[in-house]
Formats: sequence, structure tokens, C-alpha cells
Amino acid sequence: MRSADLTPVARDVMKGPASLGLIFFSLVGAYLLAVMPWSGGWLLARPDFVLIVIVFWVLHEPRAIGQGAAFALGLLMDVSDSMLLGQHALAYVVAVFIVQVFRVRILAFGFAEQTLHLLGVTMAASSVTLLLNLLLGSDFPGIAYFVSPALTALVWAPVNWILYSSAVRRRRRGASA
Amino acid sequence: MIREPPAFFHRGPSPLARVTFFTLAAIAFMIADHRFHALETVRLSLSVLSHPIQQLATMPGEAVARIADYFASQDRLLRENRDLRAQVLEQSAEAQETRLLKSEVAHLTAMTSSNGRYADHGTVAEVLYAARNPFTRKIVVDKGLTHSIHAGMPVIDGSGVVGQVTNVGTFTSEVTLVTEKDQSVPVMVVRNGLRAIAVGSGKDGSIDIPFMPVSADVQTGDVFVTSGIDGTYPPGLVVAEVTSVQKNAAYVFAKISAKPAAGVDYYRYVMLLPQPAPGAAAPQSKPEEASRKSARDRARARRSP
Repeated sequence: MRSADLTPVARDVMKGPASLGLIFFSLVGAYLLAVMPWSGGWLLARPDFVLIVIVFWVLHEPRAIGQGAAFALGLLMDVSDSMLLGQHALAYVVAVFIVQVFRVRILAFGFAEQTLHLLGVTMAASSVTLLLNLLLGSDFPGIAYFVSPALTALVWAPVNWILYSSAVRRRRRGASA
Repeated sequence: MIREPPAFFHRGPSPLARVTFFTLAAIAFMIADHRFHALETVRLSLSVLSHPIQQLATMPGEAVARIADYFASQDRLLRENRDLRAQVLEQSAEAQETRLLKSEVAHLTAMTSSNGRYADHGTVAEVLYAARNPFTRKIVVDKGLTHSIHAGMPVIDGSGVVGQVTNVGTFTSEVTLVTEKDQSVPVMVVRNGLRAIAVGSGKDGSIDIPFMPVSADVQTGDVFVTSGIDGTYPPGLVVAEVTSVQKNAAYVFAKISAKPAAGVDYYRYVMLLPQPAPGAAAPQSKPEEASRKSARDRARARRSP
């Protein structure tokens, strides 16, 4: 057993809240990526950037963003993807609910396990949208439909790296000033 | 007296309560949008809000396309120019003939006191992108409410019908393609005037002609044009060419599939046509019929977007 070492394990154990500006602009950035002119096969492979950024902030700043914001952003995605209003909203709300329930558990794992957890979350969200569209009489777009949620889970690590490090950098700068 | 301890952290309703509330809200939104088309204002205001970001997102692609256009080889441009000139010559004869026919039709329709039915001026629009929706076939064009576009306008390109405007934003509008599932166009065979309905199959970009009896005179290679009886599409626009006719005596209907005449997947500019005046193609109806018909029209207007 180690003797009492009082130096902090990490410098950002007691972290301050991320600024609302960072949350807002990360969501704008995700939306910008989402509304690039994806079409054809690229469309089926498009990761849901907005969902993954919402999930990031729900995990790390659960008091700043929740199901209400997810619902509103879902409506925005419905409009820009020319879908029936409420489909993305429902999918995002379900995803955020799952993340809220498993939040502490997910945060206890490393990136690889987190990605696996998020794969379940994104699959659930995509299945909600798929079920709704099948109910409304659309054809099944093929198994390739599930490429998008898989890629969404895979971009978790880079998104995490970008957002987490920028949040921490801001805090360190604040601490040293 | 026992009092509740003060809440140190205000937490609000539990996640489960919230998810129930928002799920119900989402379902209410979907019903309102799908059944009653009641949320056009929400859709419109959200699309206005997101318009600048959307434009920003399409910018890199457009810039690349512009640069590619700029460096397009002289040779290719010359060839294209020559082809286009030949095409203009070919079509000018037809156009002059059409002008004559049109004036004749105008004289005849003036005598029968019905409205004009051929649309001759439209709005040219540029295709911005295919809608990012894996479930439907739609394209987004760069003309909207500010260019007096409204839902229901037929959309054509150089060779035929592309589809119909189904949703109008402030600066853009969505066009549902004729190949989209359940998108139907009233058509007739050019060769013999046989009327039918062309319905998009929703897969592999083909069009089905359902409910044609096995005895119907339809052959491979027949061209379907709009018949104009729906009052939405002006008559005479090319819709599709029959690619296969399967007649099996075991079934009541023949299985006819066709391929769209318009380059449904690869155009850059399309034309949005104004809808013909209401009742343009309909014959004069008797007064009591007219009142019944207007009631039916109103019911249909409520149902369709």
C-alpha cells in the first residue's frame, strides 16, 4: 500500500462547469457537420454528430443540458432532414434518458467500454426512428441503415477528446490566471 | 409539525417522468404534423433559424464545384456548346409548330369558354442537395416562399417530370420525386391515349403502373405523358417510358414497370411550373354537380398538403 501521498491524482478532479458558450458552439459545430450535403451511401454512413455531442454534455454537464434541449435539437434535425416533425426529437429524448440512467456507470469506464455503451444508445435511437418510419409505411432501407449508429458510437472517442480537452484547457487557463 | 427538508439541489421531475412527458410530446408533434399538417409555422421558423448554418455547410462543396467548373477544359465546353446549338435548331422547328398549335388551342378554348390549361412559364431553380433522409426520395431546390413557390407545384427538367413540390421553406423548397413510394401522377399512353396512374415504386428509381387490366394495350417502349385530369400537372409532360410488361393470365392486372424520363438523380437545374387554374381541364359541369364537386374539392384540399 502506498504511503500517504497528498498530491492530487489529476489536476481536474474538482472541475468547474463547462461554459455555456462551449456547449452552445459545440452543438452548432455538430449541426454544421450534420447538414453538410450528405447523399446516397454517404447519407447512410453519416454519424449523428448532434446526438453524440448532446450525449457528451449529458454525461459531463448533466445539469446544463437534458431532455428538453435534446427534444428541441431533435425538432431542428427533423426540419433540416425533411422528416416528420418529432422523429429525431423522440429518438434523442430516448437516447438522453438511457444516458441519464446509466451516467455514473458509463463514466466509470474507459473509452473502449464507453464506446460499447454508446453503441447501445445510438442503436436504440436509430431503432426508434426506423420503427416510426416502418409504421408510417416506408420501406426498410436495408441493413446499411445501422452503419450510421455504429459510426456515431465510433466518433465518441474523437468527440470526447476534442470537447473534453478543450473544456479542461479552458479550466487550466482559468486556474493559472 | 414535520416539515419537508429544504431542497439543497433543485432537481425537478425524475428522468422517467421527463422521458414520458417528452415522448408524449413527440408523438403529439408527429400526429399533428402527419395527420393535420398543423406545424408548418414551427417548421418554417426552424428552417429560417437554421438557414445560415445550412448555407455555411454547403459552401465548401459549392466552392469545389465552382473551381472545377472554372477549370473545365475548353474542348469539353466547345463540344457542349455545339451539341446545345444543334439541339436548339432541332427544337426551334417544334417550338414554332407549338406556337401555332397553341394559338389554335387558344381560339378553340375561347369558344368553349374554359380556362387555359397549358403552363408555359415557370421558375427555374437550382438543385441544392438531395434531402438527408434515408427513407424518402426528395431533393431540395433554392427557391421558396420568397419566390412565390407553393406546395403542389409540378417540377420538370429538360426531358420530363421530376416530381412535385411538397414542402416550402422561406428560401428553399423540397421536391418529392416521381420515383418516391406512393407518389402518383395521372398519365396516359401517347400512342393510344389510354389513361393510367403512374406510382413511384420507392426502390431502384423505377415507376409502376398498377391496376392495368391484362388486356390493356401497353407495350414495352410506350411513353406515358401527364394526362392533366388531376388539375396539378399540366397535360403533355413526359413522365416515363415502359421498360417491361408482364401479362400473366392468373392475375387480374398486368405488371408494368417504367423508367422515369427525367434524369431523376442527376440534374442541376429544374423548372417549377405553376399549377393550372382550378378546374382548368374539367368539362363544364351542371350546377348541382358543381356544388357537390366543390364540396369534394374542399375535402380533398383538407386532406392533401
